[in-house]
Amino acid sequence: MTKNNLSQKLYSSFREVIIILAIALFIAIVSNSIISDNTPLFGFSSAALIKEQQAKIPSITLSEAYDLYLKKKVIFIDARDPYSFEEGHIVDAINIYPDDVSLHTQNLKVKANQGFIFVTYCDGPQCPLSKETAHALILRGIATVKVLVNGWSLWLNAGYPVSKGKK
Amino acid sequence: MKLRNFSRPFIPVFALICRLTLAIIFLYAGIEKLINPGDFAVAIYNYRLLPDYAINFVAVLLPWLEVIIAISLISATNTRGAALLSALLFLTFATALTINLMRGLDISCGCFGASSGNINWSYLVRDFSLFCISVFVMIYDRGWRYFFV
Repeated sequence: MTKNNLSQKLYSSFREVIIILAIALFIAIVSNSIISDNTPLFGFSSAALIKEQQAKIPSITLSEAYDLYLKKKVIFIDARDPYSFEEGHIVDAINIYPDDVSLHTQNLKVKANQGFIFVTYCDGPQCPLSKETAHALILRGIATVKVLVNGWSLWLNAGYPVSKGKK
Repeated sequence: MKLRNFSRPFIPVFALICRLTLAIIFLYAGIEKLINPGDFAVAIYNYRLLPDYAINFVAVLLPWLEVIIAISLISATNTRGAALLSALLFLTFATALTINLMRGLDISCGCFGASSGNINWSYLVRDFSLFCISVFVMIYDRGWRYFFV
């Protein structure tokens, strides 16, 4: 194949790419604009989607969580910062901040296969960390996750076992 | 129109089979995504690779691009361009898959709309195979006319 021939073929290929792209772009925009339930072309909101996905994560009550704890079927995941965790946490809980979930995924998957249920918690009814950690776990294929809303305060006030220090 | 009498038809016939296989895959993938662009936008978002403003745009454009590529491949018009685009798309999909497999995310592939399974390494092998098929079509396909006198 001569150099001229090759460059001609490349040129025609790129011209064809542009033609296909232009046709697809035209049809996509026109068809999207004429359908009634159209998709806003630049209007995707990841914040709204995350909120929606987090709202679907099941929650667990304090008594249910304690019942699982007595049956040794639960692993508590403290989603607060390490300093708060060191000051006090549910006994045997693991400290996993939402951003650090990937570091623990392999170990947690082994536990999930053994039938454990994961309960994430933080402190305060508005605290988002427990849902964020739970969401990150679900994204990594750990499905048996529940959220104990305002978990730390509820557990502490109920007088259930707690411990201090790092883990 | 009469079928040509070939002395060594293997490569053109194989290229034709590859071209039609690619076309069927793109047509199916494109139509599945067109049925529910909202779900496809979520699948794109789950890859965590694009900024918010680009997600819906890609969710609207990509299905049509796949359908147009399929039509080009079936009709053998702009075949080389369609095969080149196909190769580039599979390369992009493979890169996105690899990044998320390395991240350990367990997300829906989104390859065929909402009915796709979750990503795993076999999908990467599939994408790489389709990339090779696309390159083969780009180089060796001769169009419909080649088969008739």
